[in-house]
Amino acid sequence: MFISIRNLVCRFGNVAAVDDISLEIEKGEVVVIIGPSGSGKSTLLRCLNALEDFDSGQIIIDDIVVDKNLKRIHDLRLEVGMVFQQFNLFPHLTVLDNIMLAQKVVRKRSSKEAAEKGRRLLDSVGLIDKVDSYPAELSGGQKQRVAIARALAMDPKIMLFDEVTSALDPEMIGEVLEVMKKLASEGKTMLIVSHKMSFAREVADRMIFMENGKIVEDGPPSQILDNPTRRRTRDFLGNVN
Amino acid sequence: MLDWAAEQIVLYWDIFKYLIPAVPWTVLITITSFSLALVLGMIIGILRISKIPAIARLAGLYINVIRGVPLLVQIFFIYFGLGGLLNLDRFTAGVLAVGICYSAYLAEIFRSGINAIAHGQYEAALSLGMTRFQTLRYVIIPQSWRIVIPPIANQFIASLKDSSLVSIIGMRELTRAGREYYSQYFVDFQTWLMVGLIYLVMTITLTKAVKYLEQFYAVKGFGTQK
Repeated sequence: MFISIRNLVCRFGNVAAVDDISLEIEKGEVVVIIGPSGSGKSTLLRCLNALEDFDSGQIIIDDIVVDKNLKRIHDLRLEVGMVFQQFNLFPHLTVLDNIMLAQKVVRKRSSKEAAEKGRRLLDSVGLIDKVDSYPAELSGGQKQRVAIARALAMDPKIMLFDEVTSALDPEMIGEVLEVMKKLASEGKTMLIVSHKMSFAREVADRMIFMENGKIVEDGPPSQILDNPTRRRTRDFLGNVN
Repeated sequence: MLDWAAEQIVLYWDIFKYLIPAVPWTVLITITSFSLALVLGMIIGILRISKIPAIARLAGLYINVIRGVPLLVQIFFIYFGLGGLLNLDRFTAGVLAVGICYSAYLAEIFRSGINAIAHGQYEAALSLGMTRFQTLRYVIIPQSWRIVIPPIANQFIASLKDSSLVSIIGMRELTRAGREYYSQYFVDFQTWLMVGLIYLVMTITLTKAVKYLEQFYAVKGFGTQK
């Protein structure tokens, strides 16, 4: 299995944000995670690239056992790219430098190589004319597309998307989702926390509904969205739509 | 009346000529000690936010001790106390004292500058596979730098003024030269006015230079942009 999570528990104080979750994900799968806020979706995602320490259980990603070993955490993060709700672009660097930085210092690529890759990716997200702009000069949708390009520049095998459209104005959401759809169609393994149900229906191979740190329902989008077996899932979808 | 004015001008000119050769020493003490303070302050500031509690506390202790003792006492301690043991000359002792003293203040400025950067910046850098050191080096400190330029510049100007304290151990800089002139010719008003004016010209020049530095590091829509 490409991603294997077994009995994962992650606590904040007395609250188990992730409460005994087991999950297996295959290479190339696109999984959309939904659920009310505070249900542990983001925490689960953040455990997968060791941004959050977990208390017990086991995560194995592409044969790397996730634990507190710094070398393994480093190897893991090379395989797992992440895009955040708040973009987190580096404001002191131009768009191109944002994408080049980790390529140079982490992947040890030459400036020329990193710049070529950066331009290619910016072109693919439709922002080639923004190479020399600073993040503050971009719209939210543009920032998020740069953030996606920045993560992709490291050639991750898995991409995590943590509510990447939640901080965007409605008219900018489409452009970001388009980029993600393209990625999904290229066969990238993706875990997406999102509230965009129509988008989920379109890209997801599989959907997971979480509540109180547990997986309540897990199945193809047609099942989760149209015929949820659990009452709680039905209520949630009723409220969202 | 005209005679008096002419006499005064000659006197001020005489004082000025006497003091000017000491100005490079004031500048040298300030620049050397502040460079030391910058390096030390950066290191202590980073240690202060170390994940290892013992290191963070030790750095905190350094800051509190140094900030809690008057610079003049530190100068005496280093020149007469340590200087006796280590055979330090006046210049070295003075530079060490001012440098160490200011490093504690700068450490606090660096620490607050680093803490002012949003947590998401660390997460973004770490998620790209950067180490904690690389994150500080390429992402956090370049942003903090822009935030800390104004308070650091203030400290630099303050250290220029505090370099006058080094005169007490016999280091011949601007203030010492003023004392020498006064004890030779007993013109107190004119001497100290001239000493003060020369300091003032230096601090005003520095203030202007800092404005340029801020603009040099400005990034559109971020930090110290005007």
